[in-house]
Amino acid sequence: MRWIWIDKFEKFEPGVVAVALKNVSLAEEHLHDYVPGFPVMPASLIIEGMAQTAGILVGAARNFQEKVILAKISNATFSRLVRPGEQIVYTARIANVKETGASIEGVVTVRTRVAGGGDGTSQLVEEPVGTIAMMFSHIDQNMAGLKFPEFNFVFNSQFMELFETYRWDFQIKL
Amino acid sequence: MTQDEVFAKVQDVLTTALAVDKEEVTPEARLSADLGAESIDYLDITFQLEKTFGIKIPKGELIPENLFSNPEFVSNGKVTAKGIAELRSRMAFADLSKFEADPDINKFRDVFTVDTLVRYVLTKVN
Amino acid sequence: MKFILVDQLLALEPGQRIVTAKNVSLAEEYLADHFPGFPVLPGVLMLEAAVQSAAWLVRQHSGFAHSLIVLKQARGVRYGNFVAPGHTLVMTAEVVQLGPKSSSFKIRGTVDDATAVQARLELAHLNLADTDPALAPLDAAAIAALKQRWNVLGAGARAALPA
Repeated sequence: MRWIWIDKFEKFEPGVVAVALKNVSLAEEHLHDYVPGFPVMPASLIIEGMAQTAGILVGAARNFQEKVILAKISNATFSRLVRPGEQIVYTARIANVKETGASIEGVVTVRTRVAGGGDGTSQLVEEPVGTIAMMFSHIDQNMAGLKFPEFNFVFNSQFMELFETYRWDFQIKL
Repeated sequence: MTQDEVFAKVQDVLTTALAVDKEEVTPEARLSADLGAESIDYLDITFQLEKTFGIKIPKGELIPENLFSNPEFVSNGKVTAKGIAELRSRMAFADLSKFEADPDINKFRDVFTVDTLVRYVLTKVN
Repeated sequence: MKFILVDQLLALEPGQRIVTAKNVSLAEEYLADHFPGFPVLPGVLMLEAAVQSAAWLVRQHSGFAHSLIVLKQARGVRYGNFVAPGHTLVMTAEVVQLGPKSSSFKIRGTVDDATAVQARLELAHLNLADTDPALAPLDAAAIAALKQRWNVLGAGARAALPA
């Protein structure tokens, strides 16, 4: 299992707001053993999706020079379960930034298809899932006695690739 | 703003930020030792106080910086007389009497009580 | 990866408190990504360990009345020390309120006696049949599987090899 909980950025305004999407699929192993026989996206992984969306937004605000680590989840509230076939939409907004860290206000919604009439059509709707307020620490500025390496293990090549891909709006035709 | 008004708002900020019960947030309560505040909580509290009271809290004004790394101010894990004088000037709003009686740098966090925050805010709003 | 964040039951005071352990091992694949060169248990998995620990307490207390016990709200989740491979996250969940449909807990996770995480959680207890009575068999199957898991977890038996 790869530790990537977002698939694509839909919007990215450095220092302001980011919107990222995550498709939920039965192909993902973790959905299956949570509640045996009833695949569902665990809330903790929804929080991680928001953390990754927001972490990249906070990191970009200081040019990925800081090691941005999730330090606090002030409040995460859920009103709906998320199922396979649905697409999670994470909207993260920077509320505050200082040298030692930042706070984020996040909203989670889900795009889901609802069956239309008997003609096999369906309609895409967006429904609320929850809200997540979280805080990141710039750990180099704020050591607090923790030991960690010097290189930026947070903004590694995998994340940087994901971040770059949202700018790709070209199509490749066969 | 009166002291009581400031206290009531600071109490709300801390109840939310530290996820504690309102009754626990007494004036003498120490943010870390009694209310469980971690370093990130101090930043959260700073953001919330700025928002609640419409004030700006510059770096080092509430929580002094570069104090204990200075050898003139710390000796053998205790703050020196020079250090205490420096602390008094940087944190004029605080009641440092308990700390001065036992200036162990490991006990510095205990200076940050709910009352310390109230006193700080009062210097900024009035 | 199996999404099970409780490896061992250390203590249970029914309806009051549960203590569990989660071992962190380099065998867990996601560690290669979190982070490259600095593997540590992700904070949200510490939260998940807390949710799963609290859920076991609810299940034991309610006699496995529900198939789904999920996180409704997490507040004041603060992270302290990292939990690295070779170390164990010991999670304690204490009941604040325990009802038939919901419960709330105060949790603390420690690693080598230092705090790794602390939080307040609210869980919702559901059955699929609440939404649609036709789904009752799914609830029954899930509950049966969870009871099996609990037998393994709560057994506490030491497996000795014959001399």
